[in-house]
Amino acid sequence: MQAPLRYESQVRTALVEGQKDYHQVTEDIVRPVEAAPSRLWWIGFIISVCCLLFGVWSVTEQVIYGVGQWNLHRTIGWGWDITNFVWWVGIGHAGTLISAILLLFRQGWRTGVNRAAEAMTIFAVMCAGQFPIWHMGRVWLCFFIMPYPNTRGPVWPNFNSPLLWDVFAISTYFTVSVLFWYSGLIPDIATVRDRAKVKWRKLMYGVLSFGWTGSTKHWQRHESLSLVLAGLSTPLVLSVHTIVSMDFATSVIPGWHTTIFPPYFVAGAIFSGFAMVQTLLLVSRKVLKLEGYITLEHIEVMNKVIVLTGSIVGIAYLTELFISWYGQNKFEGWAFAQNRVNIFSPYGWSYYLMMGCNVLSPQIFWFRKMRRNLTVTFFMSVIVNIGMWFERFVIIVTSIYRDYLPSSWAMYYAPSIWEVGFYIGTFGLFFTCYFLFSKFFPVIAIAEIKHILKKSGESYKEKMGPLEQMPVEEFAHEYAHAH
Amino acid sequence: MSSIKEHFVTPVRYKQWSIGLMAVGVLSLIIGFIMYGGHDQGVRFWAALLQNSVYFLLLVNAVMFFIAAVSLAMGGFQMTFRRVSEAIAASVIPIGFITFVILLCIVFGGKTAIYEWLDRDAVAKDPALNGKKGFLSVPFFMIWTVLTIFLWSFLGWKIRQLSRSIDDTPLTVAEGKKYIFKNTVWTALYIVWFGLTVASVTPWLWLMSLNAHWFSTMYSWYTFASTFVSGCALLTIFVIYFKNQGYLEYVNEEHLHDLGKFMFAFSIFWTYIWFDQFMLIWYANISEETVYFKPRLDGAYVGVFYLNLIINFICPLLIFMKRSSKRNWGTVTFMSVLLIFGHWLDFFQMVFPSPRISPDRVPLNLFDFGIALGFVGLIMWQTARVLSKYPLLAKNHPFLKESIIHHT
Repeated sequence: MQAPLRYESQVRTALVEGQKDYHQVTEDIVRPVEAAPSRLWWIGFIISVCCLLFGVWSVTEQVIYGVGQWNLHRTIGWGWDITNFVWWVGIGHAGTLISAILLLFRQGWRTGVNRAAEAMTIFAVMCAGQFPIWHMGRVWLCFFIMPYPNTRGPVWPNFNSPLLWDVFAISTYFTVSVLFWYSGLIPDIATVRDRAKVKWRKLMYGVLSFGWTGSTKHWQRHESLSLVLAGLSTPLVLSVHTIVSMDFATSVIPGWHTTIFPPYFVAGAIFSGFAMVQTLLLVSRKVLKLEGYITLEHIEVMNKVIVLTGSIVGIAYLTELFISWYGQNKFEGWAFAQNRVNIFSPYGWSYYLMMGCNVLSPQIFWFRKMRRNLTVTFFMSVIVNIGMWFERFVIIVTSIYRDYLPSSWAMYYAPSIWEVGFYIGTFGLFFTCYFLFSKFFPVIAIAEIKHILKKSGESYKEKMGPLEQMPVEEFAHEYAHAH
Repeated sequence: MSSIKEHFVTPVRYKQWSIGLMAVGVLSLIIGFIMYGGHDQGVRFWAALLQNSVYFLLLVNAVMFFIAAVSLAMGGFQMTFRRVSEAIAASVIPIGFITFVILLCIVFGGKTAIYEWLDRDAVAKDPALNGKKGFLSVPFFMIWTVLTIFLWSFLGWKIRQLSRSIDDTPLTVAEGKKYIFKNTVWTALYIVWFGLTVASVTPWLWLMSLNAHWFSTMYSWYTFASTFVSGCALLTIFVIYFKNQGYLEYVNEEHLHDLGKFMFAFSIFWTYIWFDQFMLIWYANISEETVYFKPRLDGAYVGVFYLNLIINFICPLLIFMKRSSKRNWGTVTFMSVLLIFGHWLDFFQMVFPSPRISPDRVPLNLFDFGIALGFVGLIMWQTARVLSKYPLLAKNHPFLKESIIHHT
C-alpha cells in the first residue's frame, strides 16, 4: 500500500497513462531527441523555412522601398501589422500562465504541457516583436526606442507613450520567460547529456546543462529559483497584455477608449494562447508518440480553460457593446452600432466572425464529450485563433476607418502582398523554432513528470484502493505518523 | 484521533455577541431613521442601508463563489473547512431578502435623491438619461433584482444541499465520479449566473446608476474584485475562529497559508483593476468620465480615496508578501478584519460621493458603523445556526482526504 503522503483521490483521472516507471518516462520522452527526425518532421520543417524565407523577402522589400509597400494610409495608420503584433503577443500568454500561475496553484496537469507551452511563448513573443520593429521604417535606428543618455540633443523617447511601455513590458517578459524555460530545461538537458553516446552530443548538451549533477543542493536551488521566477512571471502574465491594451485604451478614439480593456485583453490572450497550445500539442503528441503524457485529461482541462476565458471575453464584448449605448456618447455609439454591429457596413462581417469564433463556438466545450474529442478540439483551436485575430482586426480597423471627417473615411483597407508575406513569415519563424525545439530538446519536462508520477501515474493510482477505502480518521492517523 | 468534534455547539458568548451586534444594528436603524429619515427624502439613511446591505450581500455571496470556483477547478484543499464556507454562504438568503426590501423601498418610495433616474422630470429634460431609460427603469430594475437574488439563493442552496446529501453514504470511486460531475453541473450554473450578475449587470443597476450619467466598463469587475477579497477574508476569520474553539481538527497552517494567498493575490488583483480604471480615465481626461473622480480625488473624499488604497493595497502587499505572515494565525486574523473593513470603506466611497447623495461632505459617523455591525451580527448568528445543524466535516466527499494531507 502507498503511504498517504502520495495519496490522490481515485476519482481524479490519471495524468500519466500506462504502466510507467521513472526509467520508462525518460525513455519515452528522450526518444524523439535521440532518434533521427522523421519524414513528417522534415516536411514540416522545410515548409516552415520556406514561409520564413518568404517573410524575409517581404520585409526586405519593405525595408528597401519603405513602409509605403504596405497599404496603410492616413486614416488607417495601423492595420495588419499591429493586428498581427497583438495576436502573437496574446498567444504567448498561455505559456507563462501554465508555468507560473498554475505552478503557484499546484496544478499537477501543467507538467504534461508546460515545456512546450513555454517554448511557444518565447517563439510567439519573438514573432510579435518583429512587427513594431519593422514598422519603424528606418529600422536601423530602432535603438532610438531605448532611453539612454545620447548625443541627439539629447532626445528621449516619450515616456508618456504606452508604445514605449510596450518596449519595457515585452522585453522584460521575454527575458523572464527565457530564463524560466531554460532553468526548467537544465535537468532534462543533463539527462540527455548522460545518455549521449556521440561525442558532439555529449559536448553540446554538456555545455548547455551548466554542469548539472542532480545533487540535492542543485535541486534545492532549482526549486527556489522556479518559485522566484514564478512569482516574477505572475504579474508579467497580466502586465504585458495590459500594456498592449493601453496602446488603444489610453487614447480617446471611440471603440478604443474603455476601462475594461486591460483585463479583457489578458483573458483573450490566455484564451488564444491555450488554443495555440492545443494546436501544437495535438500534433506533437501524435507525431512524437507522447499520448501517455499528454492525455485526454490534459486536453479536456485545457478545453475547460478555453470555455472559461472565451466566456469572460464574451462578457467583456457584451459589456463594451452595452456601455457604448448606456454611455449615450454619440461617437462611441456609432463606433459600435454602425461600424461593427451593422452587418451591412464594410467590416460588419468581421464583428460577427469574431463573436461567432470567440464567444459562441467555444460554448461547445460545456459538453464533456466534445472536450475529449480530438477532432473537435483541433478544429476549435484553429477557429479560436482565427476569431482572436479578427478581434484585434475589429478593434483596430473598425475603430479608425471612419474618421470624424467623412471626407477622410477609408472604406476598404486590404493588406498588400508584403503585409501578408510578413505575416506568413512569422508563421515560418514560429514553426521553424518549434520544430528545432522539438528535435533538440525534450518537449515534456521529464523531471516534473517524475515528480507527479507516484501520485498521478495510472499504475500508482491503481494501488491506492486501500487508502481510498480507509475511514477518514484512520487515514488522518496514518498520515500523522507517515514519514 | 478518535475524538474529533463532529458537531458545532454554539458557545453562549458567541450567541450573546451575535444577538448584541444585531441589536446594535436595529438600534442604529431606529436612531438613524429618527435622525435622518425625514430630511431630504432620508437620503443619508437610505444610502447607508444601500451601501451596507449590498456590500454584505456581495460579501457572503463571494464565499459561495469561492465554493463554486474551487469546486469547478476540482480543488480539493477546501474540503476540511467546506462546511464553514457553506454556513457563511447560507446568509445569502436572509441578507438577500433584506437587500431586496431596501431596494424596494428606495425604488418604490421614489427616492430620487438616491437614484437620479427615478426622477421623471429630470429624465425627461435630460437627453442622456432619457436615452437609457429602457435600462434604468423601475420594472427592469426590480425584475433583475428579484432574479439575481433568487437565483443566487436557490443555486447556492442546491449546492449546499448536494454537499450534505452524501453525509450518510460512503461513495465508491464510480459513485464519486458521478457525484463530482453532478457538483460540477450545479456549480457551473452558479458561476454562469454569477458572471451575468456580479460580473456585469447587477452592479450597474444597484451601484453604478447612483451616478446616472457616468459609466465605466470596468465597474462590475471592480465590484467583484473588491467583494471577493473581503469574502475570502470573512471565510478565513470564521475558519480561524472555529479552529480556535477546538473544531476543524484537519485544518492546519497549510490551509491558512492558501487562504492567505487568496487574499494576497486578489488584493493585488483588486489594485490592478482599480489602477486600470483610474489610470485610463485620468489619462484620457474626458470630462464625462473624470466627473466620477472629481469629489473623490479633488474634493471631500480625498482622505477616503487614499485610505482605501493604503488599506486594500499597501497593507496586504507589505504584510502578506512573506510566507511566514500567511502562516501566522494572528497576522492573518488581523489582516482579514482589516480587509473586510477596507472594502467596506471602498463601498462607502462608491456610494456616498454620488452627485445626489453627499458629494461635498463625508458623512461617515457611528450610524454607518452601527448598521455594519448589525449585518456582522446577522452573519455570525446565521453562520452558527446553520453550522450547528449539520456535521462539521463532509466526511464522504471524494476529495476530503486530499485536503487532510494538503501541502501548499
